[in-house]
Amino acid sequence: MNTTYLPSDFLPIVVQLGLALAFIVGTMIVTHLIGPSRKSSLKDDPFECGIEVKGNARTPISVKYFLVAILFVLFDVEVIFMYPWAVNFRQLGMLGFIEMLLFMALLLAGFYYIIRKGVLKWEE
Amino acid sequence: MYPIILLSVLGIVVLFLGFMKSKNILLPATLLFLALALGSNFIDWNQGPLLYFYGMFSVTNLTLAFNAIVLISAFLIVAMTRGFQDDEEAQPAEYYGIMLFSLVGAIMIIGYEHLIIFFVGIEILSVAMYILTGSDKRNLRSNEASLKYFLMGAFATGIMLFGIALLYGATGAFSLTGIRGFVSTAAGAQSYILYAGLLLLLIGMLFKVSAAPFHFWTPDVYDGAPSIFTTFMSTIVKTAGFAAIFRLLSHSFAGIYDFWYITLAVITVLTLFVGNVVAVYQDSFKRMMAYSSISHAGYLLIALTALTAQTERSILFYSMAYSVATISAFGVLMLIAKEKSLDGRPNESYDAFNGLAKQNPLLAFVLTVSMLSLAGIPLTAGFWGKFFVFSSAADRGLIWMLVVAVLMSAVGIYYYFRVVIASYMKEGNTGKIRVAPFYQIVLVAATVITILFGLAPGFFEQLL
Repeated sequence: MNTTYLPSDFLPIVVQLGLALAFIVGTMIVTHLIGPSRKSSLKDDPFECGIEVKGNARTPISVKYFLVAILFVLFDVEVIFMYPWAVNFRQLGMLGFIEMLLFMALLLAGFYYIIRKGVLKWEE
Repeated sequence: MYPIILLSVLGIVVLFLGFMKSKNILLPATLLFLALALGSNFIDWNQGPLLYFYGMFSVTNLTLAFNAIVLISAFLIVAMTRGFQDDEEAQPAEYYGIMLFSLVGAIMIIGYEHLIIFFVGIEILSVAMYILTGSDKRNLRSNEASLKYFLMGAFATGIMLFGIALLYGATGAFSLTGIRGFVSTAAGAQSYILYAGLLLLLIGMLFKVSAAPFHFWTPDVYDGAPSIFTTFMSTIVKTAGFAAIFRLLSHSFAGIYDFWYITLAVITVLTLFVGNVVAVYQDSFKRMMAYSSISHAGYLLIALTALTAQTERSILFYSMAYSVATISAFGVLMLIAKEKSLDGRPNESYDAFNGLAKQNPLLAFVLTVSMLSLAGIPLTAGFWGKFFVFSSAADRGLIWMLVVAVLMSAVGIYYYFRVVIASYMKEGNTGKIRVAPFYQIVLVAATVITILFGLAPGFFEQLL
């Protein structure tokens, strides 16, 4: 395998960078030129969907939303680990199975902890 | 390796113990678990260098000794928490659980053999610290400290990760041995990507141990965090962090000493200067201790900059002496700050110590011994710590650095003695402070260790 790289070997990366930049700048210019530009109080609304804007966007929101969102991410990502394990189930064998059981046990312990802490009780 | 597994499992157990009706079991259970972890630490004692986890984690007598210091410090600190009984807002089970988990991170960065293990370890340690810093939820200063620490720590982590990536790019290896193999080749000693990677990684690590010019978070965070967690941060994170930096430099980069020693020497002198001189101007004892921890990072950096055969011993001894003295100093501070509290907040200024010795001779004595040790006065462990550090610098011929260090320790005597003078000479109306028996045992034990190793430092050498 070739282990020494000359600066010219990195040319494709430079080309890629240039193309990405050119696409963004290009589309911005083109849409600006060919799109019609109408200004009115309705058009300048943050969300042009027919419903009038009420109040400030930066209102305090209950911390429960964040907790649920973070927990969702946690348990969502955990499933990703199952896929490679399932694909390589035969090669990993018994040891892999036990390790996955351990992983799931730790995860469920965390789930039990969350429930006992009352994080998922929305009404309180 | 055994303490890692034990502490991970027992941390979860502590979390679940928190669901029991009585919270009184948490403190003894945590102490028992820490004792178990300390015992299991010595299973590998004298087994020679061992590698665990597919060669990613190494165990030697030296790393075990560092683990022991960290675990004993944690034991003393946890014993001083008194179950967080005074605070009804507190979540003792979570605090103890997080402390146990953070020790896992500390042990991982003490014995890493693979930079990924190092990274995971330092994240476990740091994230636990961010949470504990902000644990006083009703206190604005605690919130501020936590946010500052988190934002700056996240940046430092990013820089560190960038350094690891560059090191991998230059050497094609994550393991310390692999990097050393590359450094010892002719091409490796000249690789600029390797140099850049090492510097970025060092910046991240030095941030975690609060060396100047990466120290700006330290005073605010140490001041804002609840005192008990300040103690935890300033002893355990520092000990583990220096063990990690020493490991990196001595195992992988001893071959390019001429390159990094200049950088580290400048940082050392700057840290000594900033830590000691700014500490003089503080009115709060707790803030002074924060700057004092910066200055002690400077003394430890002297040993790292010298990097002789004695360095590992001197870092080990110094961090032991520093940890024990810091624990007893904060122990006394917590008692007095609570006794003299202003508007429901602990009073941490020097004035709170006025006239302490009259009614509380034991507390004043414990405080005096720990201040003497931190200042490096003979017959305390701190003196021998400084002595070993300075002598390894002298072996390397870093005389100019020694001159700076000695001058700065003279400055140190001024601010360490201020509180001693306040407690013995000044007039004050401190009544008799009731000290729980367990708390008293911790204070006396820390003082006895300080004096014992001050009288017979050779005893420590024989333990190893």
